[in-house]
Amino acid sequence: MRPSLLNRLREIVGAAYVLTAPEDTVVYEQDAFLVARAHPDAVVLPGSAEEVAAVARAAHEGGVPLIARGAGTGLNGGSIPVRGGLMVVLTRIDRILEIEARGRTATVEPGVINADLTAQAVQAALFYAPDPGSQGVSTIGGNVGNNAGGPHCLAYGVTGNHVLEMDVVLATGDTVTVGSRAPDPPGYDLCGLLVGSEGTLGIVTRLVVRLLRCSEAVRTMLAVFETIDDASAAVSEIIAAGIVPTAMEMMDGVVMRAVEAAIHAGYPADAGAVLLIEVETHADVLPRMMERIDAIARRHHPRQLRLAEGARERELLWKGRKEGAGALGRLAPSYYLHDGVVPRTRLPEVMRRVQEIARAHDLVIGNLFHAGDGNLHPTILFDPRVPGMLDRVVAAGEEILKTCIGAGGSITGEHGVGIEKREYMRWLFTETDLDAMRRVKRAFDPEGSLNPGKLLPDGSQPTSMMQVGARAWS
Amino acid sequence: MELIGLLRRIVGHHHVLVAPEDVIVYEQDGSILQAIPEVVVLPGSVEEVGQVVRATRGAGVAIVPRGSGTGLAGGAVPAGGGVIVSLARLNHLLEVDLRGRTAIVEPGVINLEVTKGVAPHGYFYAPDPSSQAACSVGGNLANNSGGPHTLAYGVTTNHALGVEVVLHDGNPLWLGGRVPDTPGYDLCGVFVGSEGTLGVVVQGIVRLMRARESVRTLLAVFNRMDDATRVVVDVTGAGIVPAALEMMDQTTIEAVERGAPVGFPRDAEAVLLAEVEGVREYTERALREIEDICRRAGAREVRVAQSEQERAALWKGRKGAFGALGTLAPNYYVMDGVVPRSRLPETMRKVAEIGRAFGVRIANVFHAGDGNLHPNILFDMRTPGELDRVIEAGAAILKACVEAGGSLTGEHGIGLEKKAYMSWVFTEADLDAMARVRRAFDPTAGFNPGKVFPSPPACGEPRRVPAKIPAGLWV
Repeated sequence: MRPSLLNRLREIVGAAYVLTAPEDTVVYEQDAFLVARAHPDAVVLPGSAEEVAAVARAAHEGGVPLIARGAGTGLNGGSIPVRGGLMVVLTRIDRILEIEARGRTATVEPGVINADLTAQAVQAALFYAPDPGSQGVSTIGGNVGNNAGGPHCLAYGVTGNHVLEMDVVLATGDTVTVGSRAPDPPGYDLCGLLVGSEGTLGIVTRLVVRLLRCSEAVRTMLAVFETIDDASAAVSEIIAAGIVPTAMEMMDGVVMRAVEAAIHAGYPADAGAVLLIEVETHADVLPRMMERIDAIARRHHPRQLRLAEGARERELLWKGRKEGAGALGRLAPSYYLHDGVVPRTRLPEVMRRVQEIARAHDLVIGNLFHAGDGNLHPTILFDPRVPGMLDRVVAAGEEILKTCIGAGGSITGEHGVGIEKREYMRWLFTETDLDAMRRVKRAFDPEGSLNPGKLLPDGSQPTSMMQVGARAWS
Repeated sequence: MELIGLLRRIVGHHHVLVAPEDVIVYEQDGSILQAIPEVVVLPGSVEEVGQVVRATRGAGVAIVPRGSGTGLAGGAVPAGGGVIVSLARLNHLLEVDLRGRTAIVEPGVINLEVTKGVAPHGYFYAPDPSSQAACSVGGNLANNSGGPHTLAYGVTTNHALGVEVVLHDGNPLWLGGRVPDTPGYDLCGVFVGSEGTLGVVVQGIVRLMRARESVRTLLAVFNRMDDATRVVVDVTGAGIVPAALEMMDQTTIEAVERGAPVGFPRDAEAVLLAEVEGVREYTERALREIEDICRRAGAREVRVAQSEQERAALWKGRKGAFGALGTLAPNYYVMDGVVPRSRLPETMRKVAEIGRAFGVRIANVFHAGDGNLHPNILFDMRTPGELDRVIEAGAAILKACVEAGGSLTGEHGIGLEKKAYMSWVFTEADLDAMARVRRAFDPTAGFNPGKVFPSPPACGEPRRVPAKIPAGLWV
């Protein structure tokens, strides 16, 4: 990177916040897509929206790619600077600017940690609904980039349903405001377009999000099954009965054993699968909803149906769920966490197929996922030091995603496309479809300088950039 | 005109209208704006839409897509010239997947027909604009329509999973799909609410919802408007999300009692209609809580429906309100502003002040729970200069909404009517970002020219004419 540009960046953000030494920038070579890495040419940490705009303008004039990064917990390699360039890290812009309890909105900066917003909103009996597994670490800006989901999105919807308004710095350094606090803002829904655009259209510098009122009553049930098949069938039937729990999570035996070894959350390590079913609603409604769920679960041969006693047991069960992926580090040095989605009615057959694929490739796959949404997270365990193993992992993953598409589903439920699934977009979309997206990309970023090499296929194989990382993120 | 011959070959002679007595039907929608089209085409299939678009745009002629013409912002009025492409013949409910809870519909399907088609199985299509017996799903998609039950279920975009659109080159393109949150850019979301400026929707995949176990409705009468608006703030503040929370003011009450009386006291300043839906235990309790809030706020009367018949009776006044306005004045102009609910009381006071300042009478019938106002300015177009005052009063009301942290439209869209006001809520840079998206889909901007964005229409201004009081105008 040219010294003149680096100097300009130092003038904008201060010398301490421009990193160029390899030992500093190496920290930013990877996110939670554990099988790829690339080094940024420089990393800049602006301290305000104005500084982001100035940085973008400088990068634009210098002809340098610009890659936005939050906490680096993304699972698709979306923040890996595959073509080098300048990384803009937004973690210093992390103020909760306002919580407006009457209007139930919060105005936040992109670097705010997801869980911190709820921690503050809860003082007004409000919460921020999107709750990705990484919520204790991930930033709201990163969540917006990936349209992140989470266990409770079954009832509340994904990030896009909760973002009302955003300030966005465009490739040129100009700032626009998209969306509005008022419902159904006029003109094109550019706020909806920007959410989930993975940093390829602009960089969010301020956002207004919706807060929800904390529910009056919550009940959490642990349903233990001998097989994934029975658990999947129970999920299908609960949803078909018109019941929408707030969350309905599945964890298979592989994951439970890891979780129990790591944190002793109270999961039956010898069972085939459990469902963690949570209902948040009015106190009057809760008993009958739990009875109906209980009755349906009973038809699918449960070993045990247990209601969490008190907040502590509930929190422990959720801790096990949320830290489940991390706990897999106990079973293998690395893993490849997939993210497919299928219609809920097809869940039982797709889960059977996932197990067949694991056997065919001689791999162990753990399942820990949002069953109520039909959002699978088959997690393939592997050891990067075993020659050829990563190839088998990638092949198995591709078969799983193709199975999802074949069942009428799609290649990502909540993790996004990034570099990981860029080429897989062709499985789902025609060239005409993709061209429409490319035209929108060019409308915002004619030079293709924002997060290049992400989201849209360009012909290069994602596997070619996979470098084997020996470290697991956990 | 060579193009007319081409269009006739594509859709058949009968489906290309050029005679003045035929095309005049298409000069207006539900707004107070008019412009007579030269040509109206009614294609009968997706393929025909593609060929019509290719031929028309290929000849350098603009296209104005049109559904049922119930829009309230002039979006279907061909003020910038061009061919009207009516989607009324594409009116088939193509597929219903109850297990997946989706339906595939053509754009000309009447909104209410979707719910009628699935209601026997215990499902419904949630967006319910008051025009739902006449308006088309395609038109709803174009305007991102709302309705009374939007409060609980959201607007059209929350129920549109995918759309197939025909672009300027005549080629079809699917955006979104059955699976929620399809990867890549949310282009389906961009099309919904784009008011026909990006392309023509030829199919939609919409979400179906399961009918609720229980529906309870109450109507409360207030001596003072201020008390009624405070109830709205208090009900939502108590964490109750009614399926609908509708308000009518004294002027509307007078109209209803003159037109089709339902027994509202004429000296009351406001009537509030609240409906809750859900499981039995919830609706019973929520209804009781709303009743308590109403009584505490000083409601002089609360009527609770005990049967489906009584429920229909409570809704009757609300549903007939717009038609009844005709008993007060020959013409009216429906506004559609939105404010944060917490600002509702002061905004309603401001609307009344504006009415007094401009010397116009205003009737309010609106989605109070959403903070979505519909002040109806009553007037007589035969009085010289009155229309100008009406337009100015309308602009003042919308300005007040924007100043209260709200916006120009809650559900009716911008169309022709409010495009000049877009600069009140968007900067040049914001509008430029939208313009770039438009060019990405339609480089020569020949779909519905002169709408939404604050640029002068290509072929002169439309004539402003007053709404004729209708046999059912809907909001």
